[in-house]
Amino acid sequence: MVIKHMIEDDCADNGIRVPNVRGEILSLVVAYCNKHGPVQNDSEDNSRSDELKTYDADFVKVDQATLFHLILAANFLNIKSLLDLTCQTVGDMMKGKTTEEIRKMFNIKNDLTPEEEEEGLIWKNLVVASTPEGEEEFRGENQWSYEIW
Amino acid sequence: MIVKNQTLNLEEEATQGFSLKSSSSSHNHGVQPLGNLLLNNKSHNSRNSGLGNLCILTDDILIDILGFLSGTHLGLLSTVSKSLYIFCNHEPLWRNLVLETLKGGFSFNGSWKSTFVSAFWPDFDIENANFCIKVRNFYSDYLFQSWLCANLEMKSEWLETDNIKRRSGISVEDFILNFEEPNKPVLLEGCLENWDALEKWDRDYLIRVCGDVVFSVGPVEMKLEEYFKYADLAKEERPLYLFDPKFVEKVPQLGLDYEVPVYFREDLFSVLGKERPDYRWVIIGPAGSGSSFHVDPNSTSAWNAVIKGSKKWVLFPPEVVPPGVHPSPDGAEVACPVSIIEWFMNFYGATKNWKRRPVECVCKAGDVVFVPNGWWHLVINLEDSIAITQNYVSRRNLLNVLDFLKRPNASELVSGTTDRVNLYDKFKTAIEASFPGTIDELALKAEEKSAQEKKMTFWESVTDAKVGGFKFSF
Repeated sequence: MVIKHMIEDDCADNGIRVPNVRGEILSLVVAYCNKHGPVQNDSEDNSRSDELKTYDADFVKVDQATLFHLILAANFLNIKSLLDLTCQTVGDMMKGKTTEEIRKMFNIKNDLTPEEEEEGLIWKNLVVASTPEGEEEFRGENQWSYEIW
Repeated sequence: MIVKNQTLNLEEEATQGFSLKSSSSSHNHGVQPLGNLLLNNKSHNSRNSGLGNLCILTDDILIDILGFLSGTHLGLLSTVSKSLYIFCNHEPLWRNLVLETLKGGFSFNGSWKSTFVSAFWPDFDIENANFCIKVRNFYSDYLFQSWLCANLEMKSEWLETDNIKRRSGISVEDFILNFEEPNKPVLLEGCLENWDALEKWDRDYLIRVCGDVVFSVGPVEMKLEEYFKYADLAKEERPLYLFDPKFVEKVPQLGLDYEVPVYFREDLFSVLGKERPDYRWVIIGPAGSGSSFHVDPNSTSAWNAVIKGSKKWVLFPPEVVPPGVHPSPDGAEVACPVSIIEWFMNFYGATKNWKRRPVECVCKAGDVVFVPNGWWHLVINLEDSIAITQNYVSRRNLLNVLDFLKRPNASELVSGTTDRVNLYDKFKTAIEASFPGTIDELALKAEEKSAQEKKMTFWESVTDAKVGGFKFSF
């Protein structure tokens, strides 16, 4: 839609510059849009939607930096389905990990004081001790696997 | 946004010039607006160091990502760093979790996070464990603005202008001639004198009469008593608003406690009987709740009567799009700022410089505001309020409504009914049956009038391709 607006506003005569998005990221975005773009009629819906799911799953198998730049690009270019896909992917990366694993995964410095870490333990013990099955059901997620922190 | 540094108290500094709601139990953990970063000697933003690789993502994107997590994961993530603690405590995230999992069956206990925790871990002692980390050097416009809007009171200067025409005891003919026909708003005083509701409708009565009946509250349905509990404790940017179109069907007694004021008795959609679109709502909400800018559905006119409390109104005529509002060319979608308070903070000032100033007022208990068809309006409750509003079609806007309903994109625009596409046919047929010849008569009159005036109808002017999506008024 962003590019569409630029075209409508007559800014696009000399090609459209997309300064916020690097070339290799943009080419991935274009590939995604080409795959998802054409709308088929209803009879092909099921097999096409499976095909798209597989495509999407492979599409996001990239390194973290690429993934984050894809998110920024999708946000800037206002491509909702790509934004949802990439954000969901990051969300999935965060699930079922320990605090330390998350820090390692995203290169996050632990800046909590020992007291604050103690208090964080209370929350961790809480979720380990109970079974939020009802919640998981509603959210339609897989069973959460328990680990001792 | 830059707020001056004057004291050591971070919250005080950041909110200079704004008055906060009293006994605000929500704290913002020391989050400051981004502008302060420019003024401070320390150039580092602890937001970034606590996010690691995630720091290149903007705040709204991070919140979107966190929106995909369950309560458990969100809580665990908050133990990773101070930055993530702050993001994971963003109340709207927990609100979504509560509404998705518990629907309207929650018992609000002060914050959405603690409401969620109490519901899923009832044995957990939330009081003791409610650790609160304060951070220094954390700058984020998104989070700061969100907190500020949730805790801000209406500034008195936003309430000063009261330029609506007020009338008391005028005749129906007078109203039609001077307001309904020329499509101008008016505040009518003293026409609710025979409403039992004005005396009877306090909380005790309503809870007694409504019992366990559930009412529409945003995306969920709630019992009245639970809603009041929530309304008393909530400190939010967009409080949940009770807005129910079937309140008389659900609790017939409520329908007996009021009657339509004399000016609005002509109600042509009534020819459709049970198939008429939604037309009457009870609206209950705390201070800060309300409706951001919109135009009422199906090109109808409306009246809004305050039974308890008070409301601030801002109205713009149909051809003047309010600042900060962006309707799509076909009128099907309207993009508005996040909340009503944010509109006042960021856009209200601009209206002072416009040639076409908005009509404004504060409507108190016992008063009725008439909203002419097509007019943009924004309403915010200044205190706990209870009101009734109805939309209606009279002969004065019958043609407009018919025009609207027969638009090619009626299926998207027509609201309040499940039978959008056929509404035009049904309504036209029903009107012909009950009031034969009326439509033709009105069409003739209108033709004569427009031959003199050569004006476009409102809907034609909105969808005119040459004009584009919206118009400017300077």
